[in-house]
Amino acid sequence: MKRKVSAKHTQWLKKELPILEGEGVLSPETSGRLKTYYDENTASGMNWAVAAFSILGSLLMGLGIILLFAHNWDGLARPTRAVLSFCPLLIGAALSLLAVVKNGGTALRESAGLFHSLAVGAAIALIGQTYHLPSDTPAFLLTWALLIMPLMFLLRSTGSYLIYLALACGWSGVAQDTYGQAAEFWLLMVPPIIRLVYLIRKDRHAPDTLLSLWGILFALCISTGIVFEKTVPGLWIVAYSALLSGAGLLGMHLYGDREGWGNPLKTFGIIGMAMLAYLFTWAEMWDEIGWSYARSGWRHRPWGVWMDGGITFVFLAGWAVAAVKAFRRNSIETVTLAVFPISGIFCFLAGSTASNTDLLNALIFNGFMLFLGIMYIVLGCRNTKLRQLNGGMAVLSLLLVTRFFDADLGFLVRGIVFIILGACFLTANLVMARRKKQQEVIP
Amino acid sequence: MKKLPLMILGILIAAQFAVPFSMIRSRENILRNGELFRFKTRPIDPVDPFQGRYVRLGFENAYVPCSRQVKKKLQLAKSSVYALLETDAEGFAYFSSTEIEKPNKGDYLKTMYIGHRPSWNDKTKTLELEIKIDIPFDHFYMDEAKAPRAERLVRDSTRSTNCWAAVRILDGKAVIEDVFAEGQSLRDLAAGD
Repeated sequence: MKRKVSAKHTQWLKKELPILEGEGVLSPETSGRLKTYYDENTASGMNWAVAAFSILGSLLMGLGIILLFAHNWDGLARPTRAVLSFCPLLIGAALSLLAVVKNGGTALRESAGLFHSLAVGAAIALIGQTYHLPSDTPAFLLTWALLIMPLMFLLRSTGSYLIYLALACGWSGVAQDTYGQAAEFWLLMVPPIIRLVYLIRKDRHAPDTLLSLWGILFALCISTGIVFEKTVPGLWIVAYSALLSGAGLLGMHLYGDREGWGNPLKTFGIIGMAMLAYLFTWAEMWDEIGWSYARSGWRHRPWGVWMDGGITFVFLAGWAVAAVKAFRRNSIETVTLAVFPISGIFCFLAGSTASNTDLLNALIFNGFMLFLGIMYIVLGCRNTKLRQLNGGMAVLSLLLVTRFFDADLGFLVRGIVFIILGACFLTANLVMARRKKQQEVIP
Repeated sequence: MKKLPLMILGILIAAQFAVPFSMIRSRENILRNGELFRFKTRPIDPVDPFQGRYVRLGFENAYVPCSRQVKKKLQLAKSSVYALLETDAEGFAYFSSTEIEKPNKGDYLKTMYIGHRPSWNDKTKTLELEIKIDIPFDHFYMDEAKAPRAERLVRDSTRSTNCWAAVRILDGKAVIEDVFAEGQSLRDLAAGD
């Protein structure tokens, strides 16, 4: 496989080679060998600007067509409207056929995928409008999602994949509201997971793999809470702890020390863990949880307990596998991520079996947040990483500010605390920036 | 190599066309062969994020008399139920009773059970039961400029005159044909303002 080097850099090198040759830095043979190497072993990556604008263009056109048709067209006869409803679908299908026949590049495949996916929804909505069908949103979203699902495989289109995820996510919300349950969401998640596994195996660092990871993490995070039958109050604490911690650990296993956009799993897992830990610092979160408060009624199905238990078990199993694969004793971040669900399970069990544990559980997670903040400040200072340092200070400040508001202190004390926190932020950032500059000067 | 993806894409595109096509065919069949009923209604004007501006029709008789035996079988909300149709002396349709099984004769609407309430029967002097059903023809899509105007006109006109929806029903399925106020189509009424 050819290495990807942008055309701009290769051209620059080719311009430099004769100059270096003329000044005696490179021999003609070396210069020739360099030129041959870059000609034969590298390929220019795709033009992101072209791809981005093509995708944006088709997205705008697709949305525009939906809006244009949503503006009712009273002047046309019913059969004409019915026939016209097929027009966007016809264009979408033609684009997709072109992309498959020509084995098109990313720009064509993504544009076709996006336009075709939106056109399917537009056609169904337009027929619904023409025949004054009542708004059956769950059925509409499900039909749309199922009809576009194969496009993510056939066109290898991340746009189609993301629209499918958004539809599945939206369906879970409206179906839960309309039918009282949306357990089928888990079946809808199977195709995107298959595509994601394929992408990770092919090239885990490719932009479409990273974007797909971000998409599925958001979808899972939103819909898990929605499709939970909520028959066992508080079980979500265990499920979400395992999901977010498992994601973080898997990110460390698959992407190593990469951070931010380049490691969606770790970034999502750690930010999610911090947010969840913050929620757990309130005693109200631990009030009336566990099997003794199990709910019933028409909204809750008898199998809900098993379904929620099963999902929680799957998340816990995934977390355990990720923990075993990623665990490194010398990495405090890995240990913290691995310990987080254990604390969640412990506190959930304590809250379920014994009474008056709300305060103790909240206290444990206040301690956890404090530790998390200090850990990232120390890691940030040691590794000279501003992101970690500021993240740690943000966690610590959030905890301190919240607890100060709880403590019902006067304006003077609060004012002083805010000033001290602000000063700490500024000083730490200035010191870190100076240290970074020094490191750049003295390599 | 390209044959299989092309074949799958061909099947997919056929399915994508088949779904809206079957929607059209089923509705056109109802509009051509269905029995015409007039339902008394009161329109209001909301927006559907996917389909645009429409007039929502509020029906007077969404509550239908229901026997205790039928109610016993309707435990879960959204259960399927058949509402039997009759026409009153003025020529307006109303739901006369409900059944769990598909009726063998007469006109009926296949719908969903939403809730129930007790009701006093003046004739028999007994407390009876009524169930609320979902009316599956409560959307009438209009031009986004005309819909609010139509709603305003109808609101004014319903004080003195009747407003009704013309609905075609066939084999339990319904499609709305037009909405009338003061004997005039809502579209013409709104356009002429």
